[in-house]
Amino acid sequence: MARNASPSPERSHDPPPASLSSVAESPVAVRHLVKTFGRRAHATRALDDVTFDVTSGETFGLIGPNGSGKTTLIRILLGIARPTGGDVRVLGRLMPDRRVAMSIGYMSQASALYGDLSVAENLAFFGSLYGLRGVTLRRRITETLALVDLTERRASPVNALSGGMRQRVSLGAAVIHEPHLLFLDEPTVGIDPELRVEFWDYFARLNAKGVTILVSTHHLDEARRCHRLALLRFGKLLALDTPEALLRASGQADFDSAFLYFARRQEVAEPDAPGGAATTIGAMG
Amino acid sequence: MASIRRTLALALRIVRQFARDRRTMALLFLAPLLVMTILNFVLNNSGASVTLAIVPPPGAQGATFASDIQRALDGANGVTTTVISADQVDSTLKSGDADAALVFPDDFFTILATGGQPHIALKLEGSNPPAANQAKQLAAFALAKASASFAPTLPGQTGGGASAAPAVTLDTTYLYGGPQYTQTDALAPMFIGLFSFFFVFLLASVAFLRERGQGTLERLMVSPLSQTELTLGYVLGFTLFATIQSVVILAFVIFVLQVHYAGALWLLFLVTLLLTIGGVNMGIFASAFARNELQVIQFIPLLIVPQVLLGGLFFAVRSLPVVLYQLAYVMPLTWANFALQDVMLKGLGFNDIWPDLVFLVGFAALMVIAAAVSLRQERI
Repeated sequence: MARNASPSPERSHDPPPASLSSVAESPVAVRHLVKTFGRRAHATRALDDVTFDVTSGETFGLIGPNGSGKTTLIRILLGIARPTGGDVRVLGRLMPDRRVAMSIGYMSQASALYGDLSVAENLAFFGSLYGLRGVTLRRRITETLALVDLTERRASPVNALSGGMRQRVSLGAAVIHEPHLLFLDEPTVGIDPELRVEFWDYFARLNAKGVTILVSTHHLDEARRCHRLALLRFGKLLALDTPEALLRASGQADFDSAFLYFARRQEVAEPDAPGGAATTIGAMG
Repeated sequence: MASIRRTLALALRIVRQFARDRRTMALLFLAPLLVMTILNFVLNNSGASVTLAIVPPPGAQGATFASDIQRALDGANGVTTTVISADQVDSTLKSGDADAALVFPDDFFTILATGGQPHIALKLEGSNPPAANQAKQLAAFALAKASASFAPTLPGQTGGGASAAPAVTLDTTYLYGGPQYTQTDALAPMFIGLFSFFFVFLLASVAFLRERGQGTLERLMVSPLSQTELTLGYVLGFTLFATIQSVVILAFVIFVLQVHYAGALWLLFLVTLLLTIGGVNMGIFASAFARNELQVIQFIPLLIVPQVLLGGLFFAVRSLPVVLYQLAYVMPLTWANFALQDVMLKGLGFNDIWPDLVFLVGFAALMVIAAAVSLRQERI
């Protein structure tokens, strides 16, 4: 962490929700994570010495432009990619470990559903993968449909739904088994602002029930709704703190400017770091 | 430890998806029937253009005899007969004016009168096996009719089959398959193998490609579904379709095309099952090397067509040149064809076809491993 010259990564382990659990019990603990792709000479560092903890019951935001390593990080946390160096623990287990699968939920930016099956059939399929069946499965399908407000479309094939509705089904499929830990990779890409607000309201309700959420986004206006934010750029952790603390530390009024501020600091600290801040922001939509 | 419930959930999902895709269902069940109907027509009704040349014994008696034969064949569907002289045989066959020539010896009546066995030569054109077969059957039929009518002196005989006629030997240099079987009979078993393998491979690789493309494979990998359950679920889902397909094809072949069938049904389904397991896993494996549906289609000439050409469907495996012969023996369809033909045509049992089954089990196992390896690379 020291290598990243971040102004405040260690300072704030006081997220707003719930009581602070000890670092050892963090649902997600990442230590000096390195991930490279390709052979030695041409290897690209997708993740470079990333260290952080996610606290139980919080919404932890991963913020960064496309290509900053968010998806790679989430894939490693899910156990479907292997770290090159460092170690990653999810729910206390060193990843990759399939035993955590039952307790985690995952939603990607692609809706990842079976288009020719109905909404209810999709939910039933994913529910049964997690061992739900019979009355419990039916109850969870009903609850999930109500939650994502698709009860009336339960019999519609997913192909016939609008993009926003599909995203809602996708979220439903990620939570049908009531996971303790939810990984959301850009869950609000391509959905309208109204639905985005609904999603974030729902995340807050999940937090209240004790569910830990790790969400990546490049909508900086969503950043404010996270309890803590990790700013990621070129595989490095620029900063990690509450949204308010990050704004305060950067002296900026909005997250776009705050991100730029931390990006410039990184360049000053490491002049040979790749890319420039201006182009980075351009990619952030 | 594989969970049956998860596996069944996956199998059920696959069944649901395909059951909803009407066009794929039509492809799966109607396309084989269409292809077989066309082939049945082409192969067996090519007799519509069969021409049999007759070289009668000399003299007026010979001419009467020839017209007797011609009359006997006139009733047959689209058969043409022509009478030529012995020195015209080669040129007539070469020019394609006749598919076969039935040549009676000059001393035909003399031998018959002395109770001897005249040798009649059947010269087949041969470049068109179905036509040759047809001509052969035609010649035998003609001989039976004509000979019977020619020998009314034998006690209790008023004409009938060849066995009732006076002893006549038909010398054919060209002997191909059992005379009671038509071309479709010989092909039907191979079609059952071909269709179940081909469609299962095609549909499994496309289904799996979609699974990758739409991101659901990632979701499956994140879920507690193990790799074993994933493979089993796919095999189970597709086996259901392959089995229904075999039933449909078999029913069509037996009841509509009226193909001869002798043998144990369960062996047939066992072969289909092994081919399905191999096909599904080959599809999963192949889909790792395809980026879209078009690239899956590109596997067909590479992986399917050689098996169709060399597996015994068009050419007898034993008649292939050495290199191709060896190639044919590493292809699953060849072994499936052997087994299916043995069961359906010869009525052989498990004890006779187990070497074929061993190969198919080996192939299925190899494909399961290949699919597993490709999936493992995906995960990490």
